[in-house]
Amino acid sequence: MDFSVNSNYDEKNNYWLINVAGEIDIFNSTEFKTTILELLEEKPTDIKIDCENLSYIDSTGLGALIAVLKKSKSYNKEICLKNVRPSLSKLFKITNLDKVFVIEGDVNE
Amino acid sequence: MSNKKSEQIKLTLPVNAAYVSAARLTTSSIANRLGFEIDEIEDIKTAVSEACTYVIKKHNSSETNDSFKICFDFLDNILNISISLKNFSEKESENEEMSLLVIKALMNTLEIKTSEEGLNIQMSKKHVSTFFGV
Repeated sequence: MDFSVNSNYDEKNNYWLINVAGEIDIFNSTEFKTTILELLEEKPTDIKIDCENLSYIDSTGLGALIAVLKKSKSYNKEICLKNVRPSLSKLFKITNLDKVFVIEGDVNE
Repeated sequence: MSNKKSEQIKLTLPVNAAYVSAARLTTSSIANRLGFEIDEIEDIKTAVSEACTYVIKKHNSSETNDSFKICFDFLDNILNISISLKNFSEKESENEEMSLLVIKALMNTLEIKTSEEGLNIQMSKKHVSTFFGV
């Protein structure tokens, strides 16, 4: 599946909702990071990343998420990942990033 | 799947991040063909992808039009995978440790060798059926 990032600003609850789909790897992780960092610059609010349609993420994608987390912490904002698939949850656990990110609502594959 | 005869599959890819997805797709297909379970296929695919990322980042970028090789060898219920690159740099790359951490967690063995011939990553995954004596 092709990689895509779609963002919507939820004015009522004051956060960015980002839907990410496809696979994040060394080829597109920089694009993924830049897109979210630009949203944070535009409006420094909390971020929710919906991973329901994210089928794969590698270490460079996790590195991109860490960079985004650092930036959002500098604004005292939070990042929440939701609907993470079990195969991806496993990667977060291996790298201990499950203790760093707020992860809610795992999806059964 | 019991297998006494070695079956070897070789894949050569350009040192280009755009082709890592092709390595994942091929790996999934091979692991599926060899009878690995879905979770194991996912583990092998992820490990190969991380190893490809590792060699691409280690590539000596002054060498253009380079390629790296992936070799799959299935013998006695063990899938051995070798990933090699000739022109590499010793310089530590970003997220390198995370790549290795992921591979170590998902595969049964991991060995990284460097020599004048290049960089070589060897890893293996035992078929789950061997644990149960199938």
